[in-house]
Amino acid sequence: MAFAGPVLLKRIPADPAQRKLHRWADYVATGGYEGFQKARSIPPEDVIKLVIESGLRGRGGAGFPCGTKWTFLPKDVHPRYLAVNFDESEPGTFKDRYLIDHDPHVLLEGIAIAAYANRITTSYIYIRGEYHRQAKVLEEAIAEAYAHGVFGGKHPGTDIIHNCYVHRGAGAYICGEETGLLESLEGKRGWPRIKPPFPAVAGAFAKPTIINNVETLACLPHIMLNGAAWFKSMGTPSSAGPKLFGVSGHVHKPGVFENELGVKMSALIEKHAGGVKGGKYKAAIPGGVSMGILGTDQYDAELDFDIGKKYNVLGLGTAGVIVMNDQTDLVLALRNIVRFFAHESCGQCTPCREGTAWMHKILNRIAAGFGKPRDFDLLMEVALSMGAMPGTTICGLADGANWAVRTFLQKFPEEFKARLKSPQVQGVNLAPVAATV
Amino acid sequence: MPTMEVDGKKVSWEGRKMILQACLDNGVELPHYCYHQGLSIVASCRICLVEVENPDPKDPGKLVKIPKLMPACQTPAVDGMKVHSLSPKAAANQKAVLEFLLLNHPLDCPVCDQAGECYLQDYSFRYGRAQSRFEEDKAKKPKKDIGKHVLLYSDRCIMCTRCVRFTREISGTGELGVFGRGHKEEIDVFPGQSLDNPLSGNVIDICPVGALLDKDFLFTQRVWFLKKTPSISPFSSGGENIFIEHNQGRVYRIKPRFHKDINQWWISDDIRYGWNFIHNNRQKRISVRGSADCASWEYSLGRLEQMFRKAAAEKGAGSTVLLLSPFDSTEEMFLAAKWIRGIDSQARLILNPPKIEGRDQVFRNPATGAVTYIIRAEKAPNRRGAEKIIAHFGEPPAGRTDSLDELADRAKNGNISAALVLVDPIAHNDSRLGEVFADLENLVTLSTRPDGLVGRAALALPVCTWAEKSGVFENCEGRIQAFERAVAPLEETRSAGEVFWDLLSQAGTYNAAAVRRLMVQAGLAEYADVSIPQREKEVELMQFVEL
Repeated sequence: MAFAGPVLLKRIPADPAQRKLHRWADYVATGGYEGFQKARSIPPEDVIKLVIESGLRGRGGAGFPCGTKWTFLPKDVHPRYLAVNFDESEPGTFKDRYLIDHDPHVLLEGIAIAAYANRITTSYIYIRGEYHRQAKVLEEAIAEAYAHGVFGGKHPGTDIIHNCYVHRGAGAYICGEETGLLESLEGKRGWPRIKPPFPAVAGAFAKPTIINNVETLACLPHIMLNGAAWFKSMGTPSSAGPKLFGVSGHVHKPGVFENELGVKMSALIEKHAGGVKGGKYKAAIPGGVSMGILGTDQYDAELDFDIGKKYNVLGLGTAGVIVMNDQTDLVLALRNIVRFFAHESCGQCTPCREGTAWMHKILNRIAAGFGKPRDFDLLMEVALSMGAMPGTTICGLADGANWAVRTFLQKFPEEFKARLKSPQVQGVNLAPVAATV
Repeated sequence: MPTMEVDGKKVSWEGRKMILQACLDNGVELPHYCYHQGLSIVASCRICLVEVENPDPKDPGKLVKIPKLMPACQTPAVDGMKVHSLSPKAAANQKAVLEFLLLNHPLDCPVCDQAGECYLQDYSFRYGRAQSRFEEDKAKKPKKDIGKHVLLYSDRCIMCTRCVRFTREISGTGELGVFGRGHKEEIDVFPGQSLDNPLSGNVIDICPVGALLDKDFLFTQRVWFLKKTPSISPFSSGGENIFIEHNQGRVYRIKPRFHKDINQWWISDDIRYGWNFIHNNRQKRISVRGSADCASWEYSLGRLEQMFRKAAAEKGAGSTVLLLSPFDSTEEMFLAAKWIRGIDSQARLILNPPKIEGRDQVFRNPATGAVTYIIRAEKAPNRRGAEKIIAHFGEPPAGRTDSLDELADRAKNGNISAALVLVDPIAHNDSRLGEVFADLENLVTLSTRPDGLVGRAALALPVCTWAEKSGVFENCEGRIQAFERAVAPLEETRSAGEVFWDLLSQAGTYNAAAVRRLMVQAGLAEYADVSIPQREKEVELMQFVEL
C-alpha cells in the first residue's frame, strides 16, 4: 500500500483559490495525452491486457473489472460503441462533476484510449441533464480534442473513424443504470432492459457497447503511463488503485478527496474532511444512498469493494460518503432516502413501482407520529420482497431501496421502534408531511 | 423432444421456447400479466418469477439451482430443467407482487366490466391475502376517453404495457405511451392523438384487468353470464376466427378466437363492432305483396314452388334467376341452386358481387417488418364458396353465370320470368338490384332486413343471420371453416338452408353437416372433412393454494 499523492486530482489543488479549468494547452503542458500516445504505440490487445493486469475495477458502483468487461465484446462485430456514464445522480455523489469541472481532458484521453483498445466507432458521453455547465466544458474540450486529432481520425490499421459526442440526459436517476442509459441514448423512455442480451453483445442501437464510468476512464491515462504494477501498488489486492471519495453531510470540510481504495472511513473523515461536525459520529452511508448505512460501530470501515460482505451494506457504490452525527433523526433520513427512490422509480417492475411509494407512505406516517408497532416488520417485509440481492426486478434500483431500508432498520432498530410506541415524537419537527412524493 | 419438469409435471416443447410459453402450450398455468405471446417480452410484472434448477453443463444429471428467482416469461426452457412455481420462495414473490398490484387498485369489481375474466381476481383468489395492509391513501388516477371504442380507467391499470406494445408492434400506430414515473405513471394517448386505428379494440382484449374498457360493451352484461360460441367473421373475406358471446338469445360482444395462420389473437374493429344487424332492422314476418296479413311458412313455400314452376313453364328453361349472396353459407347456396335447377334445369345462377373497399390493408411491425394483420378489402365472407357452387351447377351448359349487367339487360328485355334473391344482410347494391328487378312480377326475397328489395317482392321470406345458423364459409385463401349457431333464430325466421331443405322435401330437419354429405355425394369432395370449431373448453376451476 503506497499512496504517494493525488493521481486523478493531480491537476486540481486542494486550495479552492488555485483551482482552474485545464484547457488543452494546460493539460498537455502537465503531461496530458502522453498516456494516449503510449497506448497508440502498442497493439490494442496489449492495452486491454494491461488494463486487466492493473486490476482496475469500475468506479460507477458495481465494481466490475474494467478490462474483463471489454473482453466481452464479440470479435469482429462493428460498429461498436462506448457509452460513458456521466449520469451522476446518486445522492451524495459528486466526484465526476468535480473532476470534469477542472480537468475534462483526462476523461477524453481515457475515452481515446478505451476507443483505441476496443476499436470503438462512436463514444457517447451520457451526461446528467442538470450538469449543463459540465456539458459545456466537455463540448469545448471535445472541440479542442478534435482540433488536435484525438477524435475524428481512423484507428491505426483500420478504417474505423472514432467520433465522440456529448448526450445530455433529461434528469432521471434511472438513466444512470447502464441499460436505462442506453434506452435514453436511443431516444426512448429510460426503462432498463431485460438481460440477456447484455450490452456488450447488443447495446446501443443493438450494437456491441461498452459502458464505463467517468472515473474509470480517467484512470486509464495513468495506467498507460505508469503501468499496472504502479496502479496495483495502491489499494488492496482486490481493490486496486486510487479512488475519489466525495464526503458530505455532517463534516467540517465536505468535498471530493482522493485516496487509495481500502482507506478507513474514519481516516477519510478526520484527515480530509475535517472531522464530524455538530456532535459525534453516528452513522454514514458509504457510497450513495442505495448502498445502505454503516452503523455507529463501523466508523473504521475500510472503503473498498469488499465493504459489502464485511459490514452488511450493498457495496462501496460510488464512494460518496454521507456522514451523520448523533443529532441526526434517522427516521427522517430514511424517509428522505425512500422519497428519492419513490420519486425516481421508473415504474417498470411492479415491486419497485409500488413498493417504494408504499414504504415512503409508511415512513411519512411514522415520521408524523402515527407509526404502529407492526410497521417495523411491514417495512422490513416490503423491503425484502422488493429484492434482497439477488433482487426480483429488472434493474438494481429496487435492491438499492431495499438495502437502504433494511440496513437502517437492522442497524438502528431502537430509533424506529421508539417512534412506533407512542404518537408523541420527541425532538423533531412534526410539521404536516405531504402525503405525496 | 426436450422435456422439463414444472412443479412435478412434465412439460415438453420444440424449438427455442421460454419457460412460460412452454408451460402454457402444455396446459400448465404459471401466473403472468405482462406476457402475451403475440407481443414482445418485457418481464416487468414480475409475478411469473420461478425458481429454476438448470442441468450442470459440466456434470449432466446434476442440477444447479439459480440463486435468483427467474422470470419464466424470459428464461429459455432447457432440456432437463426443473422449475418450481409453488416453492415457498416463488409463492412469497407471487403473494408480494399481488399485494403491490392491489395497493393502488380501486377494488371496484362490483362495477367493473372485467370482473369475472380478470387476472387480478383470479390470482387474488390463488395468492392474495384477505385483508389489505395498506393504510395509506391510494393514488388517484383519472378515467380517460382515449378513442372511438376504448375507455381507459387508469386507476385499475397495473402497468403491464401490453396495450402500449400492441400499438407499437401490431397496429404500428403507436398512439399509446407511458407517462410519468414510479407509482404515478399512467398509460395515455400522446397529446393530440386518439386511439382510433382500425385494430384499436384489441387492446381491450389483451388488458389483463379492467383498465381498458369497451364503450360498446360497457355495463351491458356481466361476463359470467356470457356463453361463447366459436364462429367465423361474417363481414370480411379473411375468415377471421371469432367467438360470439351471447346470453339469452342476445349477442353482447364479439371477441377474437386464436387462429395461428389467419388472425392470430386479433380482429379488426369492423368485425368486432359490425354485428348490430343481428338484432337491429330485422324482417320478422313473411310478407306477401298486396296483403297486410302474415302468411304461414307452409303457404309461402307452396306459393314459391308454384310461382317458379309456372314461370319456368311459361317462359321456358333458363328464364328463372337465382341471385346468391356471398354472405350465405356454402351449404345454403348448394341447396338453393339444387332446388332451382330441379325446377328449371337451366336456371341462371348469379352471384351478387361483394363490396370491395380499396385494397387489403396490411399492418406490419415497424421494427421487424413482419405482417401482423390484414384487413381484407372484400367485405363478404364467402365469395369463393358461392363461386364454387356456381361452377358446380354451371356445367352444362357453360357460361350460365351472368354478371349483374347482363342480368339487367335480360330484365330489360323481359327475359326473366322469376327471380329468387338471397339478400345481403348488410346493405349493398340495393339500389342497383332495385333497378334491375323494378318491373319483375315474380320476385322472391330471402332477407334478414325489411328494407331494400323486400318492398318490391311478391313474396318476402325472413331468414336468419349467420349468428343464428351454422355452416361453412370459404375465405379468400381457400380455407373452408365451419361456424356454429350461437343464438336461436328470431321469431318467424328460418335459415335459408331450412327453407330449401323443406322445398327439396329432404327427410328430417335441416342441418349443415347433412348438407355437406349431400355435397360430397354430388362431387364436392373438399367438404368431406370440415372440422367443427372447438367450443370453449370447460375452464378448470382455479385451485386455491394454501400459503
